[in-house]
Amino acid sequence: MLEHILSSMIFLPIAAGLLLLLFPVAKNGARAVGFVVSVAVLILGLKLYTGFNGAGGMEFVERQTWVQSLGINYILGVDGISLFVLMAGAVLFPLIYLVFSTKPKGYYANLLIVEGAMAGAICAGDLILFYIFWEVMLLPIFFMIGLYGGEGKVAATIKITIYTIAGSLLMLAAILYLGVSYHSQFGGWSFDIAKMGAMKLHGTGALLAFVAFMLAFAIKIPIFPFHTWLPDAYTEAPSAATFVLSAIMAKIGVYAVIRFVIPIFGPEFTRYALLLAYLGVIGMIYCGLAAIAQKDFKRMLAFSSASHMGIIALGIFCMNIQALTGSIYQIVAHATSTGVLFLFAGVLEERSHTRKIEDLGGIASQAPVFALFFAVAMLASVGLPGTSGFIGEFLIILGAIKFNVVVGILAGTSLIIGVCYMLWMFQRVFFEKSKKASFKFKDLSGAEVAAFLPIVVIIIVMGIYPQPFLKKIEPAAKIQISSISQHVQVAETIVLDKGHKLEQK
Amino acid sequence: MEHTATFYLGLIPLMPLVGAFVIGLLHVMTCKTKGFSEEFYGVIACLGPAASCIMALQVFQLLQAMPVDQRILVHKAFTWFSVGELHINMGFLADPLSSLFLLFVTFIGTLIHIYSIGYMGGDKSFGKYFAYMNLFLGSMLILVLGDGPVVMFVGWEGVGLCSYLLISYYNDDRSNVLAGNKAFIVNRIGDLGFVLGMAFLFWSIGTHGFDFIALKANAPMLTPAMGLVVCLLLFVGATGKSAQIPLYVWLPDAMAGPTPVSALIHAATMVTAGVYMVARFSFLYAHIPLSGEVIAWIGILTALVSAIFAMFQDDIKKVLAYSTVSQLGYMFAGVGVAAYSAGIFHVVTHAFFKALLFLCAGSVIYAMHHEQNIWRMGGLRKKLPITYWTMVIGGLALAGCPPFSGFFSKDEILFSALASGHKGIWIIGVLVAGMTAYYTFRMIFVAFHGEPHSKSAYDHAHEPPAVMTAPLVILAAGALFAGLMNLPEVFGGHQLVSHWLAPSVLDHHVHATEGMEWMAMGASVVVVLIGIAIAFFKFARGAEVPYFSGFSKFAYNKFYIDELYDAVFVQPYKLIGSFIWKQFDPNVTDGPRRLTAGIYSIAGSAFKVFQTGFVRVYAIYMVIGLSLLSLLISQTLN
Amino acid sequence: MISNYLTLSIILFSLGILGVISRRNVFTVFMSIELMLNAANLAFISFSRLHISMDGQILALMVIAVAAAEASLALAVVILLHKHKGVLDTNIFSTLKG
Repeated sequence: MLEHILSSMIFLPIAAGLLLLLFPVAKNGARAVGFVVSVAVLILGLKLYTGFNGAGGMEFVERQTWVQSLGINYILGVDGISLFVLMAGAVLFPLIYLVFSTKPKGYYANLLIVEGAMAGAICAGDLILFYIFWEVMLLPIFFMIGLYGGEGKVAATIKITIYTIAGSLLMLAAILYLGVSYHSQFGGWSFDIAKMGAMKLHGTGALLAFVAFMLAFAIKIPIFPFHTWLPDAYTEAPSAATFVLSAIMAKIGVYAVIRFVIPIFGPEFTRYALLLAYLGVIGMIYCGLAAIAQKDFKRMLAFSSASHMGIIALGIFCMNIQALTGSIYQIVAHATSTGVLFLFAGVLEERSHTRKIEDLGGIASQAPVFALFFAVAMLASVGLPGTSGFIGEFLIILGAIKFNVVVGILAGTSLIIGVCYMLWMFQRVFFEKSKKASFKFKDLSGAEVAAFLPIVVIIIVMGIYPQPFLKKIEPAAKIQISSISQHVQVAETIVLDKGHKLEQK
Repeated sequence: MEHTATFYLGLIPLMPLVGAFVIGLLHVMTCKTKGFSEEFYGVIACLGPAASCIMALQVFQLLQAMPVDQRILVHKAFTWFSVGELHINMGFLADPLSSLFLLFVTFIGTLIHIYSIGYMGGDKSFGKYFAYMNLFLGSMLILVLGDGPVVMFVGWEGVGLCSYLLISYYNDDRSNVLAGNKAFIVNRIGDLGFVLGMAFLFWSIGTHGFDFIALKANAPMLTPAMGLVVCLLLFVGATGKSAQIPLYVWLPDAMAGPTPVSALIHAATMVTAGVYMVARFSFLYAHIPLSGEVIAWIGILTALVSAIFAMFQDDIKKVLAYSTVSQLGYMFAGVGVAAYSAGIFHVVTHAFFKALLFLCAGSVIYAMHHEQNIWRMGGLRKKLPITYWTMVIGGLALAGCPPFSGFFSKDEILFSALASGHKGIWIIGVLVAGMTAYYTFRMIFVAFHGEPHSKSAYDHAHEPPAVMTAPLVILAAGALFAGLMNLPEVFGGHQLVSHWLAPSVLDHHVHATEGMEWMAMGASVVVVLIGIAIAFFKFARGAEVPYFSGFSKFAYNKFYIDELYDAVFVQPYKLIGSFIWKQFDPNVTDGPRRLTAGIYSIAGSAFKVFQTGFVRVYAIYMVIGLSLLSLLISQTLN
Repeated sequence: MISNYLTLSIILFSLGILGVISRRNVFTVFMSIELMLNAANLAFISFSRLHISMDGQILALMVIAVAAAEASLALAVVILLHKHKGVLDTNIFSTLKG
């Protein structure tokens, strides 16, 4: 049973979503089906988590031959890094079905399909398989924003779709290039990632392929300056879609860099890591500054999310174990804090019918439980010790300082930047006197409290007792770091011998 | 015996945290309906701090019973996080320094909790207040007991959070919340320095163990340059938390919170965390004299500038706030010249008399129905005798008048500065002592002597209930007698505190003649008496509201530093954010994308010309295509 | 000798193309198309005669059959067009404008 657990986590929601689309089902029925399926995925995920060994390699691997002549196989697997991205999704998805009012059937069908597709992208061990899931992942988002979004939904949908697909097409070209390189070096065809790591790539072809991959992922994460689709897409999307985009899909971009770019493009990655680190940190500061100018709280949270993704991206480029582990831990922490803040923003929007900060006020006195939960998520987002956000941020800053002092100091400013806009928003929305839009703001109902309470507990537990999680992440992260460090050494010896004409291997 | 003893260490911060959780939960569940009674909340709220106080005493006694060079108790609760070379435990360390802090923090904390039951009576969020207060105490205890910089940082941020929550406690009013924001953000700027200092420290010597014991052992491996960087960065954190130049601006605004909050957080405990931190890292600072110089000078200059501000304020709490900043400056001057135990001793005495002064101020505010302007008080000494006399005791201690505790602690610092060659610091210190005496008694004389400003308010004023006055008396006793703890040898004392702290801190022992010591003491006493005398003649027999102009106006407006910060930092920050959002992002970062989209648009329009819609034209295209194709084929076939 | 037939075929084909391009009446356009088809037929048969093979003649028969089928469909479309617009002028039908 456990051998096919990954496939079931991927295809169960996709099948359920497609069936929902095909058959006439009432809205409430669709919501119930969605909830049941996502809980089923959660249970499968928990089984996966408890059965996970944490020795460092890929576990729960499934292999099926698919297109033999081209070496495309159906390969799935998780290691310490993908496990946590997967679990973040599995744990947080059921919330969406609980907290908003009932929406049309297609909304829930799309959510199910995207859940399955994202799981597929995370677990894929074959480049073509990964590409397929990567593209499929985008389709439900296209529909959710385009059909169920806010006022500027059309422009936002087109922007996110075309921008993402442009990057993905370049990535497809790069994947095909990799396939051809593999063929020329080893004779047979294969797109298996485990085998691709053994390839030696050089020349402009390798560089272009690296750029293509990084471009696709940089657009998804997003890394400055490829983030411009984000504010519109996040703001106009329905809150569930924003949550999905922010909490999980962005992380898949980060995960993909670790999974694909580092093993295959080691030398190029090492050479450009500093530039990418600077982009990450500049993006963090840039989006954090833009956040404070926002009048719409959802857009402010969108910039906040982009800002935090900048730090997470930085963690990968620092190429040391602390920063990388911190990044992965922060992936989950960010999902629980900022992702959940988007859910709260959705609740806020539903009950007060406005997204403008200046129309709101005094919600803490009307809805203390809501304010408390929001405050905990907000504090996790700014990285208060004792919440999930601190561990990752601290590890990343620590690792960044080792990598490059200037980058580290700039990364540290995230402590200040995050607090500025969050407190300003919290003050205006929750404190001060109630305004017209926030009179009679209903507090969280019992069901909603029951839904959000586990997340609040997770935030605190992850802050106080992170060691069990870190123990599962560390071995996998170590493997990635060791594969990179051999390139660092090569690069250093080349630098030492710069005087001589050294032929690069 | 050893095992249970170390287990205590984990419980000490845990008790108030559990209390905070319980009270918070009860409050949130019942605040919309009829809640629990105030007595109920009050009792639960005081249980945690009181339990911690008792356990702190036990820890202290345990340490006393141990031989001097082994006075360390360590408790590792669990492995917090461990990645690569970084191993951080949730661990607690009790040594002489932390046990001393434990004692006065828990003791004064408990007293202020008891006082708050009276002061906050009738408040609609009574439970929320005590939840936050307990949370604060728990965080402060984590800070003091942390066995390494990271655990200390947990407490450090925790107290910052509680400070924010309590300053903006009356959150209906925007200015209170803004004050809270300011505190949190300015603290965070300091925290950036702390984190960077920790990071540099870790990568230089922390990879062999990142707790205080290991760091102390590995400290010699630190290069002087890196050591200086670490020391200064950590000190930046201290300036944020302990309100020194340039990050002191949040403390006066923090007076927007309830007065017991000001007493506990912004006088006795949280603000001393910076001094504690420097003392805790004395194994670094003692070897890098330049860092000590920087600290001492920043400290004494802060003391000077804030004393000037205090001389002109008309809000009773603002006078005390600037006074706190000033006294903190003294403490930093003390630890800066490597007289760590002198600085810590002043922390302890200051905690007593400053908390006392704030609570007395609270008592006055309570009696005058939340009037805080001293010029609207007057003549209260007949109506509020207990408050008056305890405030006088506190004032004399603050001014540094012998035989009150403040005299001994302040004098110890000034003497250490003089004896270690810092004459400039000593002179400024003596000057500030005089100014301290002046503004303290200006405040007391204006509020309590002379004629009442408003007859009706005066008539309604009465002494607050015993739950508030009892702590005043206890604290007054502390302010009076705490000096005995560290009586210098010239008076026949044994310098108990300095000897107690010796294993924890690397004091720079000064050797100076007894004559110098008497001279220094004499100078202090003289300026104090002069200060009190000037205040007496100006204010004790009734004074009018002053009119400020020129320098006094400049000082009354605190040198316009808040406005300066706003203009230089806050407004540009907002402007840059707005610029990025409105101009830069759409035009520059999004530029290439817009350009690409534009090019496609133009190309599309260009090609649109061919789609005329006329079938005949399409037929012509077909013919043209056909001809070209046949030409091509005929060429290739050839 | 075959060149005479091919020349005739080319002339007929060109006339057909000219007709398709330059005539406004839909029927005339179709007639020109038929002319082009017949020109192609002529070419096929000439080559069949040249190479002494039946392939060209068989293809010519197929072309005739296809032409007949296509003509019937085209006339059906023309009738619908007439119903739509009332006039059979190729200049009028321009809804496919880009």
